[in-house]
Amino acid sequence: MKTPFRGFTAILLKEFTVIFRDPTTLFFMFFPPLIQIIAFGYALDNDVKHMATVVLNQDRTAESRQWVEKFVDTQTFRVVAEVNSVDELSSAIRAGKAYVGLQIPPDFTRNLHAGRGAQVQVLIDGSSSTIALQALQTSMGLALRESLTTVMREARRTEMPIEVRPQILYNPTMKSANFFVPGVMGIALQIATVFATALSLVRERERGTLENLLVAPLSRWGFMLGKLTPYLLISMTMATCIFLVARWVFGIPIRGDVRALFLATFLYVFTMLSLGLLISSRAQNHMQALQMTMALLLPAVFFSGFIFPIETMPKFFQWISTLIPATYFIGLMRAIMLRGASVAEYWFSFAVLAAMGAGLFSLCVIRFRQRIA
Amino acid sequence: MPAATMIACEALTKRFGHFTAVDQVSFAVAKGSIFGFLGPNGSGKSTVIRMLCGLLEPSAGRAHIAGFDVARQTEDIKPLIGYMSQKFSLYDELTAHENLNFYGRLYGLRGAGLRRRYAELVALTHLAPYLNRRAALLSGGWRQRLAMACSLMHKPSVLFLDEPTAGIDPVARRELWDLLFEFSSQGMTLFVTTHYMDEAERCSHVGYIYMSKLVVCGEPDDLKQLPIVNPANTKRLDVTCEQVTVGLQAVRQLPGVRTATVFGQSMHLLVDASLSEDFLRAELARVKISHADIRPIAPSLEDVFVALTNNENGASA
Repeated sequence: MKTPFRGFTAILLKEFTVIFRDPTTLFFMFFPPLIQIIAFGYALDNDVKHMATVVLNQDRTAESRQWVEKFVDTQTFRVVAEVNSVDELSSAIRAGKAYVGLQIPPDFTRNLHAGRGAQVQVLIDGSSSTIALQALQTSMGLALRESLTTVMREARRTEMPIEVRPQILYNPTMKSANFFVPGVMGIALQIATVFATALSLVRERERGTLENLLVAPLSRWGFMLGKLTPYLLISMTMATCIFLVARWVFGIPIRGDVRALFLATFLYVFTMLSLGLLISSRAQNHMQALQMTMALLLPAVFFSGFIFPIETMPKFFQWISTLIPATYFIGLMRAIMLRGASVAEYWFSFAVLAAMGAGLFSLCVIRFRQRIA
Repeated sequence: MPAATMIACEALTKRFGHFTAVDQVSFAVAKGSIFGFLGPNGSGKSTVIRMLCGLLEPSAGRAHIAGFDVARQTEDIKPLIGYMSQKFSLYDELTAHENLNFYGRLYGLRGAGLRRRYAELVALTHLAPYLNRRAALLSGGWRQRLAMACSLMHKPSVLFLDEPTAGIDPVARRELWDLLFEFSSQGMTLFVTTHYMDEAERCSHVGYIYMSKLVVCGEPDDLKQLPIVNPANTKRLDVTCEQVTVGLQAVRQLPGVRTATVFGQSMHLLVDASLSEDFLRAELARVKISHADIRPIAPSLEDVFVALTNNENGASA
């Protein structure tokens, strides 16, 4: 009667009944990830557009007004006010009424016509580097383009001496949701999965039902698999919902093989659920389980490439990122969804996730002691 | 022919760091008997049960259940034992029906075997009206019955009950004991911890653990004959009177009264054999207790444990 998985069916059925009997568990598994996806897909957009701009036009000519229009035409700037002094200009930025101040000096048109370097002053609020960078690039680009047009007209040339023809592959419109949503899938899934299993075993310990399980003749493998499987099925269902939202609500393309997508998700979810069980088998109570989970999940937010590119991190943090399952999963999601990558091209990430999953699960089975002390 | 030994402990010891929770406890429990394990809170009762169930590893000494070593042959023991922990741990979200089926499946029961055993236990514990109620909504007595039925699904040979009657009303307590006697008569060995002396009196054997050590172990009637409980030239008297507490203060001062304890409406005295009942009555009259009913009694189990505890405290002081 000593099969290696004895007790599996009993635990599996019980766990399913308990989960569906208590809808709050299900709610907290499904709700936060969907909110996160929607938040990151809609609200969090680093395509900066129409930033508030104040204008100080001391030249007051038709040309100078035309130049202000050229700034507005880039879609990056939006004039919120015209001011009359440099003081007003800088105080508007300091007060947070505008990110950018555009100053056109009195001799602008005169210098322009005379062929002397005409100057435009652009003040940029550097407190948000993303916004500052965008304003800087747009205004520099504008100046460069206008200068080149003038120079070429004077030299009577119609073609650029050198031309760069950039082509953005896989995300041609540079939509930031395409970058964020695959990342947030990794983060949202890990929170839901790790918490679910981390709390499930601790709950048994706190209620005293764990003792009853420990005196029963069930195997550790059967016990752990019985605990993990229901959450695995629920998590896969949840992942499917997230894919549907990503595809049909945010129009994120899925260019690669859907089976590859699900294989990656399966390995990732299994790994994270095992991590939750491992936490659970160590923690003595709810509080400890929550703290351990937070401590283990937080690094993934910063070092998984979810927001900040791993390549630009110092070596030490790059090394940390290689230990985080979310790093591989997020990489795989972007590769498969946006670039249509195949399993063969990304076999290493698949292998790492599989190894992490198998390793963590075995560890929690082996470390789980069938005694209470 | 003496019954086979079901549980045997030899110098069983458990240390937690520097604290010795169970100190060289040795005893044997015969098959089919009801063994009552008594002792104050924190004396080591639950630790002994947990070692016997394989939940805790003994620090020293050995214990066997049905011939299997509890430390090394845990897996062989598990199918043989049932364990009802202090908190009647049940799954609150599950109904009584689901709890029973879960514990049945956990022990490998399925199909017709599971259904048959389920029906037997429902009939035995009268749980039928409550089967579809969630465990969380059952009252203490019914939770206890359900927990016991759950621990019996696999027909264990030994059932460990850790304070099964704590927080249960008197009727439910009596009914539980009726069930225990029935199991015992079917050959099941029962190992019960309790604080209630009336329950201890009903056990076929009792062990008393105090400050991690097993102080005494035997049949209740034998324990009452122990010399330490019945010192030479003494007798035990039951004095029933009004205002027992006033009477107690008075008799405690008297020469020849060794111990005096209140038992409900009466007091139990251990006095010199030479002390006369008339003398007692006269002394009680001095504190305005005009009528007292005095009769000789045999020691109760409580007297046994009080005597043993005093003796232990005296020895260690």
